[in-house]
Amino acid sequence: MRTCTVSSQEAQAKEGGEAQQKKKKMAVVVFSGSLDRLTGVAMLVSGAVAMEYNVELYLMLWAVHAFKKENVGKITHLSEFKEFEPEMAKRLNWYDLIKRAKKLGSVKIYACAGSAAVWNVIPEDLELVDGIIGVGEIVERLAEADVALFV
Amino acid sequence: MAEGQLPPEELRKLKPDKVVDARGVACPGPLLAAKQAITEVPVGGVLEVLSSDPGTKRDLPLWAKKTGHVFLGVIEERGYWRLFVKRMK
Repeated sequence: MRTCTVSSQEAQAKEGGEAQQKKKKMAVVVFSGSLDRLTGVAMLVSGAVAMEYNVELYLMLWAVHAFKKENVGKITHLSEFKEFEPEMAKRLNWYDLIKRAKKLGSVKIYACAGSAAVWNVIPEDLELVDGIIGVGEIVERLAEADVALFV
Repeated sequence: MAEGQLPPEELRKLKPDKVVDARGVACPGPLLAAKQAITEVPVGGVLEVLSSDPGTKRDLPLWAKKTGHVFLGVIEERGYWRLFVKRMK
């Protein structure tokens, strides 16, 4: 059994402090607009924020559709196992999870310009979206990220 | 028990400055609850997190290390865990 000495606590804190000096970044291309996949994204975003990552989401096609103000609370379809739709629609809430994560940490959400053009939307038409950026910049930002995902 | 952690009998003697009850909340809820609650604990003070989510007892030590706090240990109760973190800054 080890006792909780001051020196080991200080060492741990110092190590953590160093890790915090330069925050890591998680970048996620969100292409999907289904309830289950968006919930998966929301869970990852929450975990990343808790672990002090900066998070950036780049919304493409179906995700842009799902983030539209008129759609955001109404997504009920699943990408798989569609027989669970009524139950999952009651139990999963991706939007509130992302909103909470955005309050607690650094979460930036951008819509891909091409997809925004498909739906003819500006950032004000979308919930939680900070801006619209081109796919070239998205690739550059993905290249800089410590964790890069496509959902 | 990892370095820096206290045995359950020592943890039971602690007087936490704040207790956050995240029982019944799924992962990553308890972690976010801890992130929010630690700001209400004075530096050098202790936060106790109650969680029924089995992911928390692995995530919370990782989180504490990452954020520069000290994970003091865990007590397993019936159906939930009591986890202790000391705020270091």
